[in-house]
Amino acid sequence: MGNRVFALLLAAGLAIVGCGTGGGNAPTGSTSKHGDKLTVAIGIDPDNLDPAAQTTTTAQQIVDMMAEALVSIDSKGNTIPLLATSWTNSPDGLSYTFTLRTGIKFTDGTAFDAKAVKFSLDRLLSPETFKAQKGVLNVISQVDAVDDTHAKFTLKSQFPAFVAAMTQTVAAIVSPASVNVPPNTPKQIQQPIGTGPYKFSERQAGDHITMVKNSDYWGTKPNYDTQIYKIVPEATSRETLVKSGQADVIMLPPANDLPALRNDPNLRVIMSQSDRTIQMVINTVDQVVPNLQKKEVRQALNYAVDKDAIIKNVMFGAAVPLEGPMSKTLAGSCPTGSYGYDVNKAKQMLQANGAAGMKVRLISPTGRYVQDFPVAQAVAGYLREAGLVVEGPATSDWPSYVSGIVLATPEKQAQKTDLHLLGWAPAYLDASQQFEQFYSLRAAPKGQESSYYKNPQVDALIEKGNSDPVASTRNKTYCDAAKIVWDDAPWIFLYNQKLPLVTTSKVTGITGVPNEKFNTVYAAPA
Amino acid sequence: MLTYVAGRLLLAVPTLLGVATIVFMLVRLLPGDPAAVMAGPQATDADIEVLRHQFNLDQPPLQQYGGFLLRLLEGNLGISTRSGHTVAEEILTRAPYTIQLAVLATLLATVIGVTLGILAATRPNTKLDVAISATSVFGISMPVYWLGLMLIVIFSIKLHELHLGGLPAAGASDWSGFVLPTTTLALFSIGLVARMTRGSMLEVLGLDYVRTARAKGANRRTVLLKHALRNAMLPVVTAVSLQFGALLGGAVLTETVFSWPGIGRLLVDSIFSRDYPVVQGVVLVLSVTFIAVNLLTDLLYAYIDPRIRYD
Repeated sequence: MGNRVFALLLAAGLAIVGCGTGGGNAPTGSTSKHGDKLTVAIGIDPDNLDPAAQTTTTAQQIVDMMAEALVSIDSKGNTIPLLATSWTNSPDGLSYTFTLRTGIKFTDGTAFDAKAVKFSLDRLLSPETFKAQKGVLNVISQVDAVDDTHAKFTLKSQFPAFVAAMTQTVAAIVSPASVNVPPNTPKQIQQPIGTGPYKFSERQAGDHITMVKNSDYWGTKPNYDTQIYKIVPEATSRETLVKSGQADVIMLPPANDLPALRNDPNLRVIMSQSDRTIQMVINTVDQVVPNLQKKEVRQALNYAVDKDAIIKNVMFGAAVPLEGPMSKTLAGSCPTGSYGYDVNKAKQMLQANGAAGMKVRLISPTGRYVQDFPVAQAVAGYLREAGLVVEGPATSDWPSYVSGIVLATPEKQAQKTDLHLLGWAPAYLDASQQFEQFYSLRAAPKGQESSYYKNPQVDALIEKGNSDPVASTRNKTYCDAAKIVWDDAPWIFLYNQKLPLVTTSKVTGITGVPNEKFNTVYAAPA
Repeated sequence: MLTYVAGRLLLAVPTLLGVATIVFMLVRLLPGDPAAVMAGPQATDADIEVLRHQFNLDQPPLQQYGGFLLRLLEGNLGISTRSGHTVAEEILTRAPYTIQLAVLATLLATVIGVTLGILAATRPNTKLDVAISATSVFGISMPVYWLGLMLIVIFSIKLHELHLGGLPAAGASDWSGFVLPTTTLALFSIGLVARMTRGSMLEVLGLDYVRTARAKGANRRTVLLKHALRNAMLPVVTAVSLQFGALLGGAVLTETVFSWPGIGRLLVDSIFSRDYPVVQGVVLVLSVTFIAVNLLTDLLYAYIDPRIRYD
């Protein structure tokens, strides 16, 4: 294990100077230990396995095992080389050239080269591709295969986080030949053929996805011959599977069983880091409760809620407190302060601002995030203790929540609620992704900034940071913006959620990745 | 007989058209934009617009409805917005699992339920009757969710005996995965069938013809199984077939607890992701199934009771 951490650190270090040798899927130095079959129980059934169409981290991590991107994220959140060994960017920041690893083959036997890179990214950007999720990679204007081992990306505008954004599953490189082999079509890939340590074997929708070891893998070969990802929607059923030994690894057990699971000698609980912040978003332009437009009132709400008690008693330790408006794992994050629990201070501030005893409505999804609804209930309880009249929490199913609350206009949202619980997990670990939540041009319904928070100073700092290619000044700019956001309190800042995993004691080598994925590639029999 | 069947089948057409129309409207009345759900958190409004266009969600509702009906006439149920597979493919990969479970649970429920019902009816107001009635009430009123989890805890964790449900791995011959979900589903129906059988048998056993049969010296077994049971079966057949029809629609809770990839979960997952084509397709197929099961039940009446004729 020590070797592996060292190797990852080494790889990360090399990545910074741009000539790494290791990879996210390919940590060097681990000793191999053969296993037949690893069974992993997950909660959701991936909609599809097309790399370009992925939006959900759990589905992404399965695709990641079969199709790799040019760069990856290590367990510390650093961007590290994967199919690319190094990269350079032009002085104007408008083009990036990746040097590719040589001698690698896709699992269909065809060669990995710059043409495949161009093909895969062009496919992502094409409006013809089924549900292609280009997101921020829409910034790419052109991809060129300079020669077999160099791929050049020309951008529409400066985008310093470009390499980090290329770690996303949607940027995975697939074999160009494979899209014409049924059941794949150029429009949609059902069985991804990439360069990964595992190959697609079979899938029964709603039940399982089976992958087999790629014995020609270019990096460190995995230990298990077969990995089965089993779809088990019910948390209690997942828990019983791992307890009875019918699954080796499960994600998201029932949170209230975490203390008992920790005490079970046959099991191991892993609290994988995540970049997801959970917050009670405040409608900062609320016409129904205009008091919420005042920053002091919003600060008072932050003082009124005992975050540490919620983490301990409602989350059962599956979270860490926030020290700023984003997870510490993001590049560009910095500590900005804390709203320590102080109900008296909260009451005084509410009184001073004419908001004592004001009425607020609260809503939360159920089952979207770890313990979401119980947390909303706890928040409501604390707000009542601070003298507010709290209606709710109400709840609704996720599609209605997204359309009716998160993507609603301020007026429509205010008709339904004043505060809503929301989780936000950047797809790649860069502060710019979190600032999507504080940038007024991304206010709903245009984006998903559902607090409608607008501070021209913050907008200017975000824009400055987003186009600054120098990491040190860029991070400083983001830090300045974060401090203002923290003070303006568009959210009740709750916590940084973790991703609880449980394994049997017969398995080792399961590692968390801080973007809410976990890595089972190098699982090994204990 | 044939005229009757043809008439019933013809009647099914307007019914299905009505179902298609209602489900088409209902899914669209649900709040929540499918494109916004598909797009994920990082999407811009332009990305959402592209998705809306890909799935024709930007067309006016009437045009969408027209397209839906036209495709339906061609036997085309559309493409799933979640997976990109055809709706027919989605249903065909799930249906076998639902059918297996429904058939097994119905068989189990009928055999055990009818036996218990006869036992109880022939010994009214004895301890056995009370015990069977109590068990039936237990079976009917026990929440499936709780029952399933209890069975899992007892048999899979404490006794380490049974596979927890979900399909066995490819190529494996271990079908013990069927035991718990089938039992869970059957327990409800056993209670129902046992109570129906008991009530119906008690009624028939009190009729004159049974007394006459006994007076003629027919043995008890013949009277019970030949004379009484056949006549008592009509309401039981109705109950069983209704249950069977409902089970073919997928038992969402049981499928969820036991991670069973059946139709019920497909439907619920599709509703939660606003996958309109799959919701429409599944509801239509289930309606066809239900109509077919009802028709078969009616034909079965004629077999059980020769006085019923469909001429």
